[in-house]
Amino acid sequence: MRIRGFFLYRRYTLPAFIIIILFSALILMSLRVKQRRGVEFLDALVIEVCSPFQKASTFVIKTIHGAFREYLFLVHLGRENATLKQRIAELQKENRQMKEMAIANERLQKLLQFREKISSSVIGAEVIGQDPSSWFKSVTVNKGEKDGVRKGMAVISPEGVIGQILKTAPDYATVLLITDYNSAIDSIVQRTRAKAIVEGKGENRCQLKYLLRSDEVIVGDIVVTSGLGGNFPKGLMVGEIRKVDKKGHGIFQYAELVPSVDLTKLEEVLIITESSSVLQEEKGKKTKRAK
Amino acid sequence: MRRVVLPLFLIIFFLTLQTTLLTSFPIQRIRPDIVLILTLYLGLSYPPIPGGILAFFMGYLMDLFSGNALGLYTLSRPLIFYIAQIFKDRFYLEGFLSQFLFVSLSGLVEGLLLLILLNGLNPNPLGNLYPLLFTVLLPQSFSTGLITPILFSLLHKGSFFLSNPKRMGIKERG
Repeated sequence: MRIRGFFLYRRYTLPAFIIIILFSALILMSLRVKQRRGVEFLDALVIEVCSPFQKASTFVIKTIHGAFREYLFLVHLGRENATLKQRIAELQKENRQMKEMAIANERLQKLLQFREKISSSVIGAEVIGQDPSSWFKSVTVNKGEKDGVRKGMAVISPEGVIGQILKTAPDYATVLLITDYNSAIDSIVQRTRAKAIVEGKGENRCQLKYLLRSDEVIVGDIVVTSGLGGNFPKGLMVGEIRKVDKKGHGIFQYAELVPSVDLTKLEEVLIITESSSVLQEEKGKKTKRAK
Repeated sequence: MRRVVLPLFLIIFFLTLQTTLLTSFPIQRIRPDIVLILTLYLGLSYPPIPGGILAFFMGYLMDLFSGNALGLYTLSRPLIFYIAQIFKDRFYLEGFLSQFLFVSLSGLVEGLLLLILLNGLNPNPLGNLYPLLFTVLLPQSFSTGLITPILFSLLHKGSFFLSNPKRMGIKERG
């Protein structure tokens, strides 16, 4: 009887295991769909373990890429004068470092100026990894909960809106880009003040949803944040309208826009930890309490 | 233990490559999905229980590092793994063409599954996703299939570190 029971157990182990695995996946999915969050502790732990590899890999790739670019340049110089090759190599190495520093300096200065301009608390972060899938659009940054980063916070650059924080770990965070299908930002058309929701469309494109047919919108119009969501300060550039279509039926028209930021070449970003609108609200609450 | 721990590092390594090195390609549409290749390789050469756990972990990692808020890969990767398990004894998967076709088709199947789930789980229909079948999914599956024989061969050569996996496909039966 025992032997028979053992064989029965062996027989059903694998199907039971497969069912458990798939059922666990469904439970995780259900958790994410319902509460918009997974197993937070486990998520953070796994991100913490894996992100240093991404960080190191990004550093190595950047270094090799820079060296390779310089090497190609040096091949031509070497042909002209062999004796000066070594000297040129040294100078080029120095030059490369200085160029990189100058470019980084320019970028960071731009970020700093922008940071001073906006009336919000922001922190700078470096992009260390991109989305592993082609279906979704996100990046991983090297700032996390320890730096005050929380889910839903706005991520911007001097050129405009980048996205918002989707997942956080103590030292790292995932940013959902505005081009992702899950992204939605309350916006207005700068010229006509027409309200709409900017939704991701993938492939570096977004679309304007719930844009009334009666609103006058033309190609080239600038779309900015409305500030109504609470996360993004008002007036940040989202993108430029590239296509308007009123052919369909219904009360809304279709418009497509290109983000103002080149999301494929992100290196540094700013995370708004406390937007001006939030500050105003809190100030309002404090005044009420004082009264 | 070695059967699970070493592949875990391999998974993290593949994911790191996919999120850093492969994203620096000028054409994003042809970025191959090397984590999918690893899933399928495990499906062809690993036992169902440790392999299933690894496939689950791979999907979980993909979900964590992507903008996918629903956790779809945690479901799709074990499914793809078990599909590979079903097919491993039925087809000859040693040649370039068979490996290319097997992985490309698996990529397409997974893409379609994701599309169905995305449309089913989102409150608003995502009609604009369908053109991506041709602009993203097909080129990506094709490029993934193209590099599969190279990666399979490398993984096969390095497989003695992981364990002693069985030969793939029909050769397994002699």
